Amino acid sequence: MSIPADLKYTKDHEWVRIEGDTATLGLTDHAQEALGDIVFVELPDVGNTIEVGDAFAVVESVKAVSDVYAPIAGEVTENNEALEETPEKVNEDPYGDGWIAKVKISGDDYSHLMDADAYSKLLEEE
Amino acid sequence: MSVGSDTPLAKTPLFDEHLRLKGKMVPFAGFEMPVQYPLGALKEYQAVRDGKAGLFDISHMGQVRVKGDGALAFLQYITTNDVSKLVDGQVHYSALLNEQGTFIDDITTYRINDHEYYLCINAANRHKDIAHLNEQAANFDVTVSDESDDTVLLALQGAESQNLLQKLTDTDLDSVGYYRFTLTQINGADAIISRTGYTGEDGFEIYIPNSAATAIWQLLEESGAEPIGLAARDMLRSEMGYALYGHEINDRVTPVEARLMWITKLDKGDFIGREAVEKRKAEGPRQRLVFLKLTARGIPREHYKVVADGKEVGEVTSGMHSPLAGCGVAIAYVEPKHAAEGDLAIEIRGKPVPAERTSSPFVRSNVRN
Repeated sequence: MSIPADLKYTKDHEWVRIEGDTATLGLTDHAQEALGDIVFVELPDVGNTIEVGDAFAVVESVKAVSDVYAPIAGEVTENNEALEETPEKVNEDPYGDGWIAKVKISGDDYSHLMDADAYSKLLEEE
Repeated sequence: MSVGSDTPLAKTPLFDEHLRLKGKMVPFAGFEMPVQYPLGALKEYQAVRDGKAGLFDISHMGQVRVKGDGALAFLQYITTNDVSKLVDGQVHYSALLNEQGTFIDDITTYRINDHEYYLCINAANRHKDIAHLNEQAANFDVTVSDESDDTVLLALQGAESQNLLQKLTDTDLDSVGYYRFTLTQINGADAIISRTGYTGEDGFEIYIPNSAATAIWQLLEESGAEPIGLAARDMLRSEMGYALYGHEINDRVTPVEARLMWITKLDKGDFIGREAVEKRKAEGPRQRLVFLKLTARGIPREHYKVVADGKEVGEVTSGMHSPLAGCGVAIAYVEPKHAAEGDLAIEIRGKPVPAERTSSPFVRSNVRN
C-alpha cells in the first residue's frame, strides 16, 4: 500500500498535494483498491467552488458509485479530462496520472488534514 | 427471503477455496460469496468473453428432484413451459407463477426420464419454492426432494470450457448440444453436465456432490480456468439482457411484462397462473421491459429513473458499463406507450442522459446453437 510522504490525507481516503496556492486532489491507493476496477469518473466543472467535505466528483466501479469529498476548499482550475476515456488510471496510478482535479486554494487552515504517518495509522486501525 | 444482520450467512462447500484464492467475500442471497478475486471484475469478465474459460461457484442455487408417475403432469401444472416437449437429456428455461400470473421464480427443468426430472432454482427463492412445490405435490403422484444442501453447482463458461472439462470425463462433450445434458462421471464422481449458462458464451453447468467439489474445482482451476466472482457474473448476464429474479422478474410482473411469453405456453393445458396471464395478455402489459443504450457518458444503475420529456416513465432494473458495447447499457421497465416511440433518457444524479432503445442481447452471443 503506497502512502507518499509529501501528501496530505483525509479520513475518507482522498489525498491532496499542496504547491503554493494550488492543490492537486485524488483518491488514495487504499481507496482505489477497495473500490476495485474504476469504470467511470464524473469530474467537477472548472470554475466550481468547493468547500471542505463537498462531494465534488464521483467515481464508479463495476458494482458501486462513490462520492469523492473535497479535502480542501477552493476553486477548480483544472480537471483530469483523460479520466473520461481512461478511468482505470485511478487504479493504475492513483497519485500520478489518476489525479482528479486541481484547485486554487482559499484559506490556509489545513489542520483537518493528516500527514502520511497519521493516515498510515488510520489504515492500520480500519 | 430477507437476510438481516443477525442471520448467519451460509457457506458453500467451496468456501475455503474462495479464501485460498483470496476472493473478496460478500453477503449474497443468504450466502457468503466471492464478489471478485484479486484479478478484478473487469479482467475476470474479459477472461470469459475473450476465449478463455471462467469457473464460477454457483452452489448457492437450489436443486430439486421430482420423481414419480405423476412427475410430468405435476410439472406441466406448476411450470410455464411445455414439459411434454422435453426429451431425455434435454433442459429448458421455465418459470413458477402464482395464481395472479406473477413470478414465484424462474427455473430450469431437466428431463432425466419420463418419471424423473431435476429443477434448478434461485437461492433467494429456495424456501418459498420448496414450500410451493410441496403444497402442490400433494395433488400428484410425485415425490419432491430438495437436494440443494448436498449439491455443488459449478459453471464453466467461455470458449475454452469444453477443452478443459473434456480432460476430466470420458463422455464425449461434443455430443452434448446446447440446452442438453448428460449424466456422467467427473473425476470419479457422479455428475450432471449440461451445456447451459448465463453468460452468452459457450460453456457448461456442472452438478456434483459436495464431497467431490473441492477436487474438481482445483483440477479445473489448475488447468487454467479463471475463478470468476459475482461482479463479473452480473456483467456477463446483464450484457446479454438475461433476466434475473429480483431485478427484471419479481412477484409484481407477469411473463407478459417480462418478455418471457416464449417460455409461457398458454396452449399446453392448464397451469398455475395461466388464466391471469391470458387476461393480462388480452388487456396489454402494465409496463414493458426495454433494452437501452446511453448515447452520452454515464453508467445506468438499478432503480435509476427512466424519463421522457422530464417526466418519470420507468425504472432501470439492471445497468452497467458494457465493455463490448463501449457505453452504458440498461434493462428497464417503462410505461407501455414509451416502449417503442419517443425520446427516453436515464436520470443519473439528477441529470437526464439520453438513451436509445436497442434489442437484446446488447452484444453478440456466442452460445452454441
